[in-house]
Amino acid sequence: MQPTSDLEVPQLKAKTFRCMGTVISLTVPVAPGKGSAAGELALTAAAAAVERLFRELDARFSLYRPESEASRLARGELQLRAASQDFRDRYAEAADWRLLTEGAFTPERPDGVPDLSGLVKGFAIKEAGAALQALGHGDWCLNAGGDVLVAGSPIAGGQASWQAGIVDPQDRRTLIAAFPLGGSTAIRALATSGSAERGDHIWTSGAGVSTFRQVSVAAADIVTADVLATAIVAGGIPMLNRATSGWDVEVLAIRNDGGILATPGFRA
Amino acid sequence: MRIRAVVSATLASAGILIAGWQSGTHVADTASATGTTAGPASAGSTGAGTGTTGSAGSGAGSSSKSSSGSAGSSAAASGSTGSSGASSNAGGTFAGDVVQTRFGSVQVQISVTGGKITDVTALQLTDEDRRSVQISNRAAPLLRAEVLKAQSANVQTISGATVTSSAYLTSLQAALDAAHL
Repeated sequence: MQPTSDLEVPQLKAKTFRCMGTVISLTVPVAPGKGSAAGELALTAAAAAVERLFRELDARFSLYRPESEASRLARGELQLRAASQDFRDRYAEAADWRLLTEGAFTPERPDGVPDLSGLVKGFAIKEAGAALQALGHGDWCLNAGGDVLVAGSPIAGGQASWQAGIVDPQDRRTLIAAFPLGGSTAIRALATSGSAERGDHIWTSGAGVSTFRQVSVAAADIVTADVLATAIVAGGIPMLNRATSGWDVEVLAIRNDGGILATPGFRA
Repeated sequence: MRIRAVVSATLASAGILIAGWQSGTHVADTASATGTTAGPASAGSTGAGTGTTGSAGSGAGSSSKSSSGSAGSSAAASGSTGSSGASSNAGGTFAGDVVQTRFGSVQVQISVTGGKITDVTALQLTDEDRRSVQISNRAAPLLRAEVLKAQSANVQTISGATVTSSAYLTSLQAALDAAHL
């Protein structure tokens, strides 16, 4: 951290765990003067609650687990109408998104198998955020494989926003942009989808190759950000324009040739 | 969808204007000199199209283009009335009511020459309210140098396309997390 004159430098503490094929990080500010042991304990408890939530959802929705409800549906052993309420709720939510995005986001693989992986991670982040609030945590940053939801500030009890960097898809060791989350703004979530990374989770509408290599969407809630980022990668320019006109979001979209399309919120 | 909303709001606004302008011509005598001398402000003057059609009177209005009706009041027809002369075939510019749409406030101005609308321009498409900024929220081409920038030293988290557990190990987020463990 580089020292700045009038800004406090955030003192942060993080916990990570693996789930859903990626790594989830929970970061919280260290309250000054507070005993580090108490802070450590609170963070450990919070991370455990988040992890439990992710694992429950993964156990039900993962297509990588042969015993999951999703896998049983995919194999035809279970009918959707006989599925659990949780599964049907998420399927209904995903189907709503398919309507709202005019098909750019879809809860099904091309072979017709229900695939809610495009929704479940965002939903898990949202639920984890609700759990953290319920546990009384006002300042935190939850990052699940590059999708981010924050609350409050990186300074305990402060007003400053969290600063999120966005990876440059052409050089993953560098950042192409930054975006402030939380603090005094209502925008708390930032999700990024790519056409190159895990091709298994975005089904492009039509046979075409995506126009965009990477799309980041900042929104008030993580499910909207995540779904729209996925939908824009899949649906190209028309979906980008639908998203910016229909939702209160900021978008940074990077074309395959490296060109950038961005809403005013991403302009320096 | 938004375009449609704006267009319909614009049309509605224009319609109100035309109605107001027409009624204005009829009641030109009673004109109730509200907007005339006061210059650009004319706050509070609600009545749509209260006169100013011919009524040479002021001349003050001619230069000021009724910069975005201040108090949100319709500021109807506070505009310039052209020069004094054109009484018979009314001409000039007329600002419409501020119409609230789901994308924010919209206000249009029409220019009338020889009794015909010759131009419709938007005076107000946005206001301070965040949602309405969206009216110009279309994603536009941006150079890399124009994007909101950050050094990895002053961000607290990293957003990127989903990284696998193994790719995470070499990611910037992993470096950040390691620094905070």
